[in-house]
Amino acid sequence: MEQKLYVKVLKFFLIVFVTMLFFFPIYWIFSMAFKPFPEWTAAGGKIYWFPNNPTFNNFRAIFSRKLEMSPIAGTAIRPILNSLTVSIIGTAIAMVVGIFAAYGISRYKAGGNLPFMLLQLRMFPPIAIIIPIMIMWAFLRMIDTWYGLAIIYGVVTLPFSVWLMKTFFDDIPKELDEAAIVDGCSNIGAFFKVVMPLAKGGIASSALFVFILNWSDFLIALILTDRRWTTIPVHISKLQSAMVGALYGPKAALGMIAAVPPIVFGILIQKYLVRGFTFGAIKK
Amino acid sequence: MFKKQITLKEPKGMDAARFGFFMILPALVFLLFIIIFPLLASIYLSLSEWSPLTGGGTRWYEAYKFWGWLSNYWNILRDADFLMSIVRTFIIVAVVVPVEFFIGLGLAFLFRDNFVGKKIFHSIILMPMMIVPAVAGFVFYMLFQAQGPVNAVLSVFAFKEVSILWLQGTWSAMIAIMIADIWQWSPFMFLILLSGLMALPEDQINAALILGASKWQRFRMVLFPLMKPVIVIALIFRGMEAVKIFDAIWLMTTGGPGTATESISVYMYKHGFKHLRWSWVAAGGIIILIIITLISMQALKPIKEREEEQAA
Amino acid sequence: MANIVLDKLVKRFGKQVAVNELSLEIKDREFVAILGPSGCGKTTTMNMISGLLKPDAGTVRFDGSVMNNIPPGKRGVGFMFQNYAVFTYLSVYDNIAFGLRIRKMETEQIDKEVQEVARLLQIRHLLSMPASNLSINDMQKVALARSMVVKPQIFLLDEPLSNLDAALRNVMRAELKKIQQELGQTTVYVTHDQVEAMSLADRIAVMNFAVLQQYDAPHNIYNRPKNLFVANFIGSPTINFFEGRYRGGEFNLKDFSAGKMSVSKENKKQVDDSIRGEDIVLGIRPEHLKVGSSRDGVSGLKAKIVSVEPLGSKTIVYMHPDGNPSAILKSSMDSDFKPKIGEMTSLIINEKNLYLFDKKSADLVMRFGS
Repeated sequence: MEQKLYVKVLKFFLIVFVTMLFFFPIYWIFSMAFKPFPEWTAAGGKIYWFPNNPTFNNFRAIFSRKLEMSPIAGTAIRPILNSLTVSIIGTAIAMVVGIFAAYGISRYKAGGNLPFMLLQLRMFPPIAIIIPIMIMWAFLRMIDTWYGLAIIYGVVTLPFSVWLMKTFFDDIPKELDEAAIVDGCSNIGAFFKVVMPLAKGGIASSALFVFILNWSDFLIALILTDRRWTTIPVHISKLQSAMVGALYGPKAALGMIAAVPPIVFGILIQKYLVRGFTFGAIKK
Repeated sequence: MFKKQITLKEPKGMDAARFGFFMILPALVFLLFIIIFPLLASIYLSLSEWSPLTGGGTRWYEAYKFWGWLSNYWNILRDADFLMSIVRTFIIVAVVVPVEFFIGLGLAFLFRDNFVGKKIFHSIILMPMMIVPAVAGFVFYMLFQAQGPVNAVLSVFAFKEVSILWLQGTWSAMIAIMIADIWQWSPFMFLILLSGLMALPEDQINAALILGASKWQRFRMVLFPLMKPVIVIALIFRGMEAVKIFDAIWLMTTGGPGTATESISVYMYKHGFKHLRWSWVAAGGIIILIIITLISMQALKPIKEREEEQAA
Repeated sequence: MANIVLDKLVKRFGKQVAVNELSLEIKDREFVAILGPSGCGKTTTMNMISGLLKPDAGTVRFDGSVMNNIPPGKRGVGFMFQNYAVFTYLSVYDNIAFGLRIRKMETEQIDKEVQEVARLLQIRHLLSMPASNLSINDMQKVALARSMVVKPQIFLLDEPLSNLDAALRNVMRAELKKIQQELGQTTVYVTHDQVEAMSLADRIAVMNFAVLQQYDAPHNIYNRPKNLFVANFIGSPTINFFEGRYRGGEFNLKDFSAGKMSVSKENKKQVDDSIRGEDIVLGIRPEHLKVGSSRDGVSGLKAKIVSVEPLGSKTIVYMHPDGNPSAILKSSMDSDFKPKIGEMTSLIINEKNLYLFDKKSADLVMRFGS
């Protein structure tokens, strides 16, 4: 059934409107990041929809050794590097452990109920078990270290990496590794030489997806880090100033920096997002 | 030649079952390490009245000196703030998940047709999902300021100066938080439902059309039953994540005003890390784990069935 | 019942024209096949009859009333989809009852109708099964039952047999024909399979490149193809073509060095009268092109036998004209014919079996012997 022209036009305008609505908050971060102090709020009686006097001062502020207006201060370079380090290592841990487990589950039906235990794990609010983990980490002297945070990230995103990689392995015909084994490959050889190369795309997109999740964490980093290993979201939440209240501009600048990698990666792996968010239950 | 063929059919190295076990071993160890100890420690602590303040720093293992049996459980289950945080969390879930579902569904229907710039619009609508939730919380903190853009837009429609103190009112703060969540996660519903819609067997819908089904009948009698598995999955996974809500609340209101926007996670965080009531929070954690386990066992059933169906 | 008239139907998808100025009249109770290669516009035509697509120009009329703006559900058509489009989430019973429920029929009446159609198609034992687990031929019957039960006046079938294996296809073909004769709906049947079209249809509409090529009874389509496309598309193995020129009662054929064929006196006048240009194409069906040494109608043309396909009832012989490997000729011989591969043989052509086409327009100019 085909639609009338006016219906099409109406629908199109609706789409444009909704898209603008969804985009506005993102726009607000980006524009706020370039606004000078007087334009941050409408305190002067006028709201600034666009940066009238665009400036890089907000970025300068967050990267300076000591934030001019803030007593707590400190440069944002460290949190950015921290976020990168911890997210990348956490992703690597989840992926390595996850790939092996996924292959065992996909090909050898190993682990029995393990996949569903992992899903269940994902349902628990991390806060419910974070205190004993903190206790354990304190005991092992892993609070406020990169490995302490990265390991937890690895665990928290393990359900995603296992389920995602399982679906990618399921997509590769079993006959291929069987053929390799018949041709004299060992089990592990078939995995590395046949399956892994075929799953390259799946591994890359799963890794990007897991990275986005790790990069987005706030609560765990808030609890398990202190001074040296705070991540970007924690840093944003702590950027306060007694004198001017919330530092809109610098926070937005940092928020913008935090927003860019996931948006880029998200668009890159758009095809696999459905699979990712549904643990592969919907492959599209 | 014949002999060689036979030997080749035997896989070299270990047998399949053992190999499979070795593959999942790291994951298993990892999970046990991260679950068993914390769980036992949680139970141990929850049965005491130890806290870093009363029990001397980090010597949690001496909690037996402050043994209290079920006193924490007894007290926390009568703690209005704790109970309210649970109720509040479920209110948030009960509001945002359906709203996100219907927004996502509506958008998905709009995106069934082809139109100019579809890909770009599609990418833009997915963006909120990619934003770090804490950053999203901060943006909405800005938007909902008395002198922020939300009030500015409302002023235009109201023909007078609107200056609602969104984040300072009990209910308005809840609404603001819900709006932030709806903004961030409607795209999730959109994404999943759209992929479900696009995968629909067009012929079955056409068959219903030819059999005389009206638009609504087609939706109710064909589209909806065909979409049901996807809808169930979307609702479960969104509900699952929504229960954990923390980041946006923390950045927008830190649970305030008072305790008006404390979700489960916010309550636990406040009591665990602001008031350092570790054994108290441990007991709360155990209760939450039990509730979530009961719910998730039900919720994951359809997914399990689907998985088994696909395996068969 | 109902007749269908399509008048100058046009459908475009973007810049591509899928159906161009198609006019077709289908009589009440007639069984018409729309035949053509994939992408020729046959399914598009079908969808315009059903109402799933709206024509960009032209009209669709059922019994004289214009259907263009009538939604598919109100046209009184039954449609069987190529993949059957059985509702996978429903039982067989609910599938069949679907259309009746839409029509708000009483439950007992629904049950009666469903049982009856299930008996007719012999699928009563399947009624309680979920439709998703059916075998492909049961699925087809369910689809058939589902569209039959609402008693459509017009029945549209889109390649209904293409998913079946060969043996089953023959069975279902007979079944379809029987059902159509019993119920007597006007039936339009889209297919790319000429055997189906020839065996089932009262009339065949051959389409190519969005245009109707010929619309006629099966034997006329075969014996009097309107143009080169129809001649080539119908018949298996395909017809042989010889390109050449006609001048002064003689065909000069390109693929043969000594390729002269003179026209008999009785036909010469007719050829001279009807011919439009010098460039012509001669066609002859494989069953009319014989090989051998001496008999009537030896043409003086020679060909080299390159391969032989014994099919049991007959034997297909493949040849290069004059040994020229760029062209291939097919001859259908009796099965006792035992040719030698590599042998140069004479072609026996009886003039009355020839088709004469104009090369430029590709139209049939005349059919000898009729």
